[in-house]
Amino acid sequence: MLKSEIVQKFVSVVGQNRCRTSKEDLITYSYDASILEFMPDAILFPKSTEEVSKIMTLASANNVFVTPRGSASGLGGECLAKKGGIILSFTQMNKILEINTENRYAIVEPGIIVADFQKAVEKVNLFYPPDPGSAAVATMGGTVMMNAGGMRGIKYGVTRDYLLGLEIVLPSGEVMKTGTITTKDVTGYDLTRLICGSEGTLAMATKITVRLLPKPKARRTLLAIYDDIDDAGTTVSKIVEAGIIPATMELMDKVIIKAVEDVFHIGLPLDAAALLLIDVDGDVETVERQAPLVADFCKGQGARNVRISSSEEENVQLWTARRALYGCIARLRPTCMIEDATVPVSHLMEAIKKIIEISDRNHVQVAVLAHAGDGNLHPLMLCDQRDEEEMARVEKAMDEIVEYSMTIGGTISGEHGIGINKAKYLPQQLSATSLRMQRAIKKVFDPQGILNPGSFLEECPL
Amino acid sequence: MIPKELQEEVYNCIKCGICMSACPIYKQLNIEGLSPRGKVQLIKKIQEKKFEVSEGFNNLLYTCLLCETCTVNCPSGVKIDRLFKAMRAEILETFKLPWQKKLIFNILSSDRLLPFCMFWGRVLGNPLMSLLPQKGKVGTIAFPKLPRFNAKPLLDQYPETISAAKARRRVLYFPGCATNYLFENVGHSVIKILKRLEVDIIIPKDQKCCGLPIFLSGARKMAIGNIMKNIGVFNRYDHVEAIIVDCATCGAAFKEEYIHILEEMGEDAEDARKFKNKVMDISQYLANFDMKKYLQPLKGRVTYHDPCHLLRSQKIKEEPRALLKHIPGLEFIEMADADVCCGGGGTFQLDHPEISEGIAKNKIQSIKDTGADTVASGCPGCRLQINGNLGNEEIKVVHPIELLAKAMGEL
Repeated sequence: MLKSEIVQKFVSVVGQNRCRTSKEDLITYSYDASILEFMPDAILFPKSTEEVSKIMTLASANNVFVTPRGSASGLGGECLAKKGGIILSFTQMNKILEINTENRYAIVEPGIIVADFQKAVEKVNLFYPPDPGSAAVATMGGTVMMNAGGMRGIKYGVTRDYLLGLEIVLPSGEVMKTGTITTKDVTGYDLTRLICGSEGTLAMATKITVRLLPKPKARRTLLAIYDDIDDAGTTVSKIVEAGIIPATMELMDKVIIKAVEDVFHIGLPLDAAALLLIDVDGDVETVERQAPLVADFCKGQGARNVRISSSEEENVQLWTARRALYGCIARLRPTCMIEDATVPVSHLMEAIKKIIEISDRNHVQVAVLAHAGDGNLHPLMLCDQRDEEEMARVEKAMDEIVEYSMTIGGTISGEHGIGINKAKYLPQQLSATSLRMQRAIKKVFDPQGILNPGSFLEECPL
Repeated sequence: MIPKELQEEVYNCIKCGICMSACPIYKQLNIEGLSPRGKVQLIKKIQEKKFEVSEGFNNLLYTCLLCETCTVNCPSGVKIDRLFKAMRAEILETFKLPWQKKLIFNILSSDRLLPFCMFWGRVLGNPLMSLLPQKGKVGTIAFPKLPRFNAKPLLDQYPETISAAKARRRVLYFPGCATNYLFENVGHSVIKILKRLEVDIIIPKDQKCCGLPIFLSGARKMAIGNIMKNIGVFNRYDHVEAIIVDCATCGAAFKEEYIHILEEMGEDAEDARKFKNKVMDISQYLANFDMKKYLQPLKGRVTYHDPCHLLRSQKIKEEPRALLKHIPGLEFIEMADADVCCGGGGTFQLDHPEISEGIAKNKIQSIKDTGADTVASGCPGCRLQINGNLGNEEIKVVHPIELLAKAMGEL
């Protein structure tokens, strides 16, 4: 517990209104989108870099734990006060500071919602591609700290690929700039890209500079239906092999098809084994040429039916259903545990089969979704967190899936991050030397260990 | 106690946060406790006895417009608004209603007090309102924008039955308190149009306030008299083909809320179910007719705002727009975010004027951006809120039916 005289010091920085300690506040800042819960002692809502800096100066002087938080849509407890202390909520520091059309970059505060930012840049015909499934909820700060990926990964990469620079506040309270506004910059170590994906353990971003692309002029969504999930998988590898790069390529199995159709009624066939949802985008000519080509690939690999969207409304409808998929699936059972082991694309089908086999063997109900184009799997495990015996089986299945993905050159987490859920798997992927280096880096930034304590490096068993 | 099946709803929330991107209040203040997700999690803790209902929780629960945007957007299908409504009823035992609300609800639920107050409201209130200074507000509504009481309640201006010469259709008309006491032109418009369409109209004199403002504040027991009385009235006239309402809120009460409340209170909801499918918003009923042949041209440009109780509670979106588009000469223009709540929320704008104004600001901007000279909406609460926040803009705020009646010309 924080002593009240310490809380008062923080109040003197942000005022009574933006320092909250009521029971209701503590409970509502104790969770994220996983099943983890940790109660903080207070929540602060800074509105400027200066305030963040003052808060951290006070925190380091008084050895107070601080954990940064955006919208808490994360899946591994990264933004939770795992050892108590303060939650620093950036949701009220949410302005777009600049959208520069001449040099195609933007500067934002960390609390802005990704989808709101995307809409704003699209108004001036620019494009911010990173597109996590939670874009309507997640903050830019959160996606930078988690290096969020998403559905456009195959063509456009992930958050890190669009970062130009940051203004950060160190645990000591010092303010520092990283990067520039130019696309090219090789000055010193690339701290921008180190901070990105650090899960809020090294520093806090108070300003974020991202590069933007011209908005693609056209987009077509294709929906291919398969009677055999293998054929869907082969289609993916064939398209990749042929050198076509779609903007997205989502694979869903029959459990997901049914769950989505039950909610949205968009005409998905309930007897299908799998479907691929593919976006092609770019110039009008490119799209007009690529869409039928991709459709041919699908048909050639045994797709029963391929629908090419005819309007932007139809694109939006299909993608709305995709975005809400996690929830649709969650209707089936109270709890939904989501995995994100990622494998080389050529092993995708083999991995999907293995996941189904592992789940069956452990009597776990599973639905398989994949950002298929980049080998990013999302097995969704349906369960009830109140049933301890079932949760143990789910955990065992997850352990096996991670172990398996290691054997074929995959990674334990493609985009959700390690948090505390996956920390136990770290030694399977990172060597003792690598872990030692990572801990040394953490020490340089945060010698007192006050920023986001209880994170992956501390939870890692070795 | 909250019924078992509603209690179970909290376990279907996967905390994805989609509701936060839908909630007008969360988007204003960005505090988790005000978000639907936050409240659902608090209710979960209360159910699990890990947290006791507190003054703070009570405040959070009532800092909600009940606009239902979270519910319709929840991918997991959690019945969020129903959970909140039931919780309000539950904790009202501990945290009494504020005296002002208690007074208003006592008036709305009383047979004698309501006409009595409305009488004095007209005799004394109307002249007094003219004396109010230009500056100053009730909730978010500027003094000069407060509505005046009808010279005579609508129900006193018409007989109980209005028969058409060669009527083939017969309906019951429920004008609701707002039309009866404040916006009589809406009622005149409905009656005029129905007469022109040769529909027999029955306007039962003993209808009562639908009770929605009372029971959505949690005071279900106080509202039960109104609910039972209206159910009795509707079932008495079981030979009508439709029960017409001109108020989004009354419609939502009759179609959905009565049944939920009776069920959740362990009462028999059978009588409420009987007439459910007959209840129709006036815009819905008029969709049965070829309106075009009756309409003369009007001038100007109109835009439309979706009331929460029409769009989300009753799923009525196209019908009112279709009516407006039928009117020759009148240009219809869709505003941005027409489906976003105006921030009125019934008594919400009185309790939380600052939040309410913040939300209204976006709505007013959307309206202005259309360049329309008129904004139409089928909810008296929305019309009050929009008109009250328009400032000095020369934009008229009307019920769509008023424009339709105008386009029908003199009878």
